[in-house]
Amino acid sequence: MKKLLLAVATISLLVACGNDNKKNENSATKESSKDQVVNIYTHRHYEPDQDIFKMFEEKTGIKVKVINASADELIQKMKMEGKQSPADVLITVDAGRLSRAKGEGLLQSINSDILENTIPAHLQDVDNQWFGLTKRARIIAYAKDRVKPEDLSTYEDLVNEKWKGKILVRSSSNIYNQSLLASIIANNGEEAAQTWAEGIVANMARSPKGSDRDQVKAVVAGEGDLAIVNSYYIGKMLNSPDAEEVKTAQQIGLFFPNQGDRGTHINVSGAGVAKYAPNKENAIKFIEFLISQEAQQVFTEANYEYPVLESVEPVNDIKAWGDFKEDNLSLNKLGENNKKAVLIFDAAGWK
Amino acid sequence: MQQGGNNNEAFSLKTRIKRLKRDVNKWSVFTLAIVFFLALPIIFIGVELFSGPGETWGHIVEYLLPDYIWNSLYLVFICSILVLIFGVSSAWFVSRYDFLFRKQMEWLLILPLAIPSYIVGYAYAGIFDYGGSLDLLLRQLGLEFIRIDIMNRAGLAFVLSISLFPYVYVSARAFFLNQANNLLEASKMLGVGERKTFFKLMLPLARPAIVAGLVLVLMEVLNDYGAAKYYGVNTFTTGIFRSWFSLEEPQTAVYLSALLICFIFALILFEKWQVRKIKFTSSKTNSTQIQRNEAKGAVQWMIFLVVFLPILLGFILPVAQLIYWAVITASTVFDMEFVMISLQSFAIAIASAIITVLFALILIYFSKWSTLSTIKNISRIGVLGYAIPGAVIAIGIMIPTLALDKWLINMLGKFGIDTGLIINGTLLALLYAYAVRFLAVAYNPIDSTALKVDNSIPDSSKVLGVGNIRTFFKIDFPLIKTGVFSAVILVFIDVMKELPLTLILKPYHIDTLAVKAFEYASDEMVMEASIPSLFIIFTAMIPVIFLNKLLIKK
Repeated sequence: MKKLLLAVATISLLVACGNDNKKNENSATKESSKDQVVNIYTHRHYEPDQDIFKMFEEKTGIKVKVINASADELIQKMKMEGKQSPADVLITVDAGRLSRAKGEGLLQSINSDILENTIPAHLQDVDNQWFGLTKRARIIAYAKDRVKPEDLSTYEDLVNEKWKGKILVRSSSNIYNQSLLASIIANNGEEAAQTWAEGIVANMARSPKGSDRDQVKAVVAGEGDLAIVNSYYIGKMLNSPDAEEVKTAQQIGLFFPNQGDRGTHINVSGAGVAKYAPNKENAIKFIEFLISQEAQQVFTEANYEYPVLESVEPVNDIKAWGDFKEDNLSLNKLGENNKKAVLIFDAAGWK
Repeated sequence: MQQGGNNNEAFSLKTRIKRLKRDVNKWSVFTLAIVFFLALPIIFIGVELFSGPGETWGHIVEYLLPDYIWNSLYLVFICSILVLIFGVSSAWFVSRYDFLFRKQMEWLLILPLAIPSYIVGYAYAGIFDYGGSLDLLLRQLGLEFIRIDIMNRAGLAFVLSISLFPYVYVSARAFFLNQANNLLEASKMLGVGERKTFFKLMLPLARPAIVAGLVLVLMEVLNDYGAAKYYGVNTFTTGIFRSWFSLEEPQTAVYLSALLICFIFALILFEKWQVRKIKFTSSKTNSTQIQRNEAKGAVQWMIFLVVFLPILLGFILPVAQLIYWAVITASTVFDMEFVMISLQSFAIAIASAIITVLFALILIYFSKWSTLSTIKNISRIGVLGYAIPGAVIAIGIMIPTLALDKWLINMLGKFGIDTGLIINGTLLALLYAYAVRFLAVAYNPIDSTALKVDNSIPDSSKVLGVGNIRTFFKIDFPLIKTGVFSAVILVFIDVMKELPLTLILKPYHIDTLAVKAFEYASDEMVMEASIPSLFIIFTAMIPVIFLNKLLIKK
């Protein structure tokens, strides 16, 4: 029995070491042939991103190495690693986290005419520390059979008595909700934001739970009439491998709020170059590639996001929703007001 | 092992020191060193406490803490009941009776552990969802769909219980299989009925083993993040993540963790207290295995159903849902890369299981050989890691290892050697972290089996002049083998599905299946997460079946 255990242990260790050695050799040979790398810390866990990384590798010969985790954990990791951090690029799925990383001194300003000139001003950092790559709008999904779009107008209108027991929205621990409230703080002030959060809680159809997709399903199931969700999830549901999800998504309508005033709240997925990036040049090249025609095309086609590059047309499913006016609030504000937003959520009892 | 004849006289400081001097031996020193090594991350988190909570502490106490406490207590209470029902009944029936498919059910009952709880949570949400499997099935049958909302506190308690009850099953079964026979026979000879034998004799005797399993379950329940978050239930752990990341106050998160640790510590003390007077050992542990009764007719079916129910709920249903998802997403997700990643996950999990079990054995036996009575209690500090959320442990690991790395870089830099991070971002840090995190999983089953070994045998071996280590390999190890193998299986499975810690500490070139599953699930691609999840389950099944054979074969 002891022998058996020993054998198992040896074999597995050999496998582990074998793996390790092989990788080490790989990286060793690469370094000797002066192969270039770029180390990416990313919160984007989307399959199409892999394709973009491959495209970049093929085009430039620079090897892309990826660590996937939530942006919060990545920021914490970079903070602790300090000067030794291997990270070259930080990618998050919201501007709030990027501006937090900037506040922690984890990013650096870079000079890139391509990035500065291509990306609209409100979608990039004032100090060129981070740049938006794709846009997503926080929209209202409504039950086509029960709600007339004429009755919808703004985020602010959702606290109206007429929506009592009708609103579905996920937990306030979700960054997209935090960013939405942060934008309301920036636009209307803290007090108004507090009243708004309380009003939404009073109108909720159920206690917040599940994901954005689950809110949409709950609308169709009749638990409520309206759901506050991100646009690209609807795109994904419409193209889901599950026929039921497709049917569900077809039964809801999309409404872009606040078209009469400041515009619909948007957020970006964005990237910045790490303060201590060992491969700074590669990092810049990498981010520049992410806003190239080909990469932007993949972002919108495979992930249903709005491209930041104006010359790239959004994919058909998105185009069908029509153009909309977006809130041009500088996204730096989202990071600045994030904590306030969370405190307001707690006080309002938004779980 | 408190000595000194009459304990009535009060200890003066002097005699205490004298005793300390007398009792300290090399084993105590080794034990302390290893406890310190394993507790280092926890100590660093503890040190953080002195810097005080963040400014939002008052805010949390006012708005959130009551909810955290209440929900956590609710989960602890309901999960305890459900887990005991599922775990003890199935362990008893498969140990005591022979019935249809018993052999297969024996290992099938361990398998719910192989599915990460949050995946079980997603699967059940998928089953009861609008447009979900149940809905489709009922529609096929032409029936009206009654939507059962599982995404709430009660649903969460159910999901956690059904995926964690095997901890209790494993430890209870180890007891029933190997310790219970003599007593059972005695009871039978005295003409006591089956039911009475179980409730009056077996259950009280198995209590330490059952409670040891239960404590593991409860630690895992309190530690759950993924399922609780998805089901919208605020617990301590979701609170830790919220205050750390949303409120950007690591200090506050550490405060909440400390509260959680107190909670767990109370559980551990409770466990110690409840086994305090029970000391029963049997030198014949190995000689006789439990004799099974052949179950027949209606009884056989009843037993079959009782044992099958937890397998159905904890394994078959969620796996069926995952397979359904896997089939509809296979064309987009499946990749030969998964086979490679499976191998990597397997190797890492086996290596860390063995390392962790070694640490547990060392702690248990070194503290036994040390004559200092308090050492045993001190060694228990090491098991606290299980109670702390993986992400917090990861930070606790990074503080000291990064300091060491920086020191090494400086030192080597003086000699002109330029190195990157040596420990961080390598397998070393990851394996260390797993050992810290999962020590309790290895410690408890081994400890509860070791507790039952009659000390007189190893003692007589030592009297005959055989050293501690040789005695251990020749005498103790064969006696506690069952516990050790259970520990290896449990740690292996836990590592296979571990997530937050792996995310933070894993090296660039290594991927685990759990990480892959999470990448999909975290972006609401639950269906796509099914393929890596199934790989986790099937990879975990291999050692479960293999080692289960070792467990029952003598």
